[in-house]
Amino acid sequence: MSAMKIALVLSVALLALVSVAEAGVSFKSLNSSKTLTVQAKIQATNLTSGQAHVGTDHLVISWALNSSFDGTGKDASYVNVKIKLCYAPVSQTDRGWRKTKDDLEKDKTCSKGITQQKYVPTGNTTIWRITKDVPGAVYFVRVYAVDALGTQLAFGQTTDKTKTTNLIQIVPISGRHVSIDIAAAVFSVFSVGSLMGFLSLEAIKQRKANSKAIFSFFRAAFTDIIRGQSMLREIKII
Amino acid sequence: MAPQGENRTDADLTGEPGSSLHGVTGHEVFPYINMDTVPEEATDLKGRKFSLPVDSEHKAKKLKIYSFARPHMLTFHLSWISFMTCFFSTFAAPPLLPIIRDNLGLTKTNIAHAGVASVSGSIISRLLMGTICDLFGPRYGCAILIMATAPAVFCMSIVSTVDGFILVRFFISFALATFVSCQFWMSSMFNGQIVGLANGLAAGWGNAGGGITQLVMPLVYDLIAKNIGADNFTAWRLAFFLPGCMHIVMGLIVLAIGQDLPDGNYSSLKRSGDKVADTFFKVLQYGVTNYRTWIFTITYGYCLGVELTVDNIIAQYFYDRFDINLTIAGTIGSTVGLMNIISRPAGGLISDMAARRFGMRGRLWALWTLQTIGGVLCIGLGLLGSLGPSVVVLVIFSIFMEAACGATFGIIPFISRRSLGVISGAVGAGGNVGSILTQVLFFSNPSYSMEKGIMLMGVMAIACTAVLFLVYFPQWGGMLCPPSKATEEDYYGGEWNEAERAKNLDRNSLKFAENSRSERGRSRQEQTSDSAPSTRV
Repeated sequence: MSAMKIALVLSVALLALVSVAEAGVSFKSLNSSKTLTVQAKIQATNLTSGQAHVGTDHLVISWALNSSFDGTGKDASYVNVKIKLCYAPVSQTDRGWRKTKDDLEKDKTCSKGITQQKYVPTGNTTIWRITKDVPGAVYFVRVYAVDALGTQLAFGQTTDKTKTTNLIQIVPISGRHVSIDIAAAVFSVFSVGSLMGFLSLEAIKQRKANSKAIFSFFRAAFTDIIRGQSMLREIKII
Repeated sequence: MAPQGENRTDADLTGEPGSSLHGVTGHEVFPYINMDTVPEEATDLKGRKFSLPVDSEHKAKKLKIYSFARPHMLTFHLSWISFMTCFFSTFAAPPLLPIIRDNLGLTKTNIAHAGVASVSGSIISRLLMGTICDLFGPRYGCAILIMATAPAVFCMSIVSTVDGFILVRFFISFALATFVSCQFWMSSMFNGQIVGLANGLAAGWGNAGGGITQLVMPLVYDLIAKNIGADNFTAWRLAFFLPGCMHIVMGLIVLAIGQDLPDGNYSSLKRSGDKVADTFFKVLQYGVTNYRTWIFTITYGYCLGVELTVDNIIAQYFYDRFDINLTIAGTIGSTVGLMNIISRPAGGLISDMAARRFGMRGRLWALWTLQTIGGVLCIGLGLLGSLGPSVVVLVIFSIFMEAACGATFGIIPFISRRSLGVISGAVGAGGNVGSILTQVLFFSNPSYSMEKGIMLMGVMAIACTAVLFLVYFPQWGGMLCPPSKATEEDYYGGEWNEAERAKNLDRNSLKFAENSRSERGRSRQEQTSDSAPSTRV
């Protein structure tokens, strides 16, 4: 049975995929490597917290190596930095798809990537226009220092350990447009309207057929009466 | 004056040889029709020929899937496609949830509520649809419902709040009542010996809409988001115009070329007196007071109910428990819906095959066996801890559960002739009630892990299937008890009182009773049966 074959192939493929997955870097292990200082400001207000609008507002993100680590050689293997937008705990409650996990391969806290830059100890600044696919939530910014393979080696973030300071609330687009609203209304009216039209047409046809039936019944009866009369005349009864 | 014998179509006998070769002429003789055998192809009440062999109710005795011939096969295709459209639109939101939940800021609780809402609207509509089919015909029922729910589908494009989302999913789910019109229509068009297969094919291919939507909607969304370049949060809204337009197109087609019965539509047949106009209360009374309706409501609740619950939770279960990619989890989820294409008709076919040998008792045993094995596999699914075996067990479990759903609707057409719609509606609604009950009992409670919930669901399915042992048809028997001396005419005729019988209103039921004698099974049919009472025409 081909259904069985499909099931077998599917399960083999899934098993293969599972065997390929590896565990990632543990976030706890990076705690000792919080070597970067990061700051994110909303360009319009120049504040590190507040409301920002998707599509119009910009975030100014600046990062650098923490001065206390200068010259220690801790940053010897840093190749690039990845700047990410991360969910604050208030936006993670009851939403398992944004859950914080220690294994960074499976961690979903920082799912939105902002940009990637080359690592220099003096740091860099980037101005990022908030893209339209960012959902409405409360965020902070985290920067990971990675090696050439992309494995996280160190990090820095705009907020503190409890993730309660310097949080930015991003206001999203609704995705609605006036044209979509109008199209939906037009199609809906067409649907109900054509249904009503069809039903009334059938009701009218029925009434016509009913009256036709009544009409032809009387017509047939009338014709029968005439025929009956002519028959009776023929055989000389009347 | 008149020609001798019916085989001479012309009176011109020039060139006829001598009397020893009487009857031989120089002309081609028209093929002699043996008036003793009934012609395979009958004509309907208006004189149009049927393209399939039919019984005395003009229901087809064969199923030709590749044909679109009116009225039987055309009806088959119309009903499964319209049912598929409704399943498609009801379950169009789940595959796009990752985008929708970000757009509307949904939480897990919101999504769970929306999931319950998406199967609860159809409870009311399935009950109503049953009575509408009995009184006005499945064509109107199907078309009106499908076109009236189209605005709800278009409303999905304009929701911007959590409550709006839940409400819209609730209203779209009213469309699932097309299941009742679909099954009713099949039972009106196809003879009892193949009704299981016909119902199973139509419902199975319709249910597959739930699986098809999980594959198609993400593709449509990708097309709009990437190729047309719309924003994510706009693209998913535009994607919903697809199911909406499908609703409108199917509704118009059903109204234009659909037909209630093999002989025509209810309205024209009522006028010519060939269809009995029935009353709402009578139809409801005979449906509700038949205890078998309620038994099958319970069993179907733990057959379709389990399948709908699994549709809602399985992608999440695999994603959370086995930590796999969300797309792969979704694909696994869609296979459950897609298995319907083969497994539900297989269940109907098994029911029909069991009936050929053992009659109605065979149908009941087949249903009990399929559903109990499904329950056992469900328990197994909850107990397994590794991904590969879980997927295999899931696939086999869905095959058995869906086959059980198909087998159920091999039996439903025989419970009542007068109230077929009401019973189909009640049983169909029962499926949804079962799903809601299961989701509320086992999957909303934080103290139950998902695997424990699945295991308990299996246990409850086995327990609820056991009520099948209580079903007894006097003329055919039950699972444990043999039949009594009652006849099919007693059973179906018993739905009409003396006054109605005097007016000959029960004639269609009696025709059905005669055709349902096949449910006696092979051994009883081979015995010389008591002389069948002459059917009054």
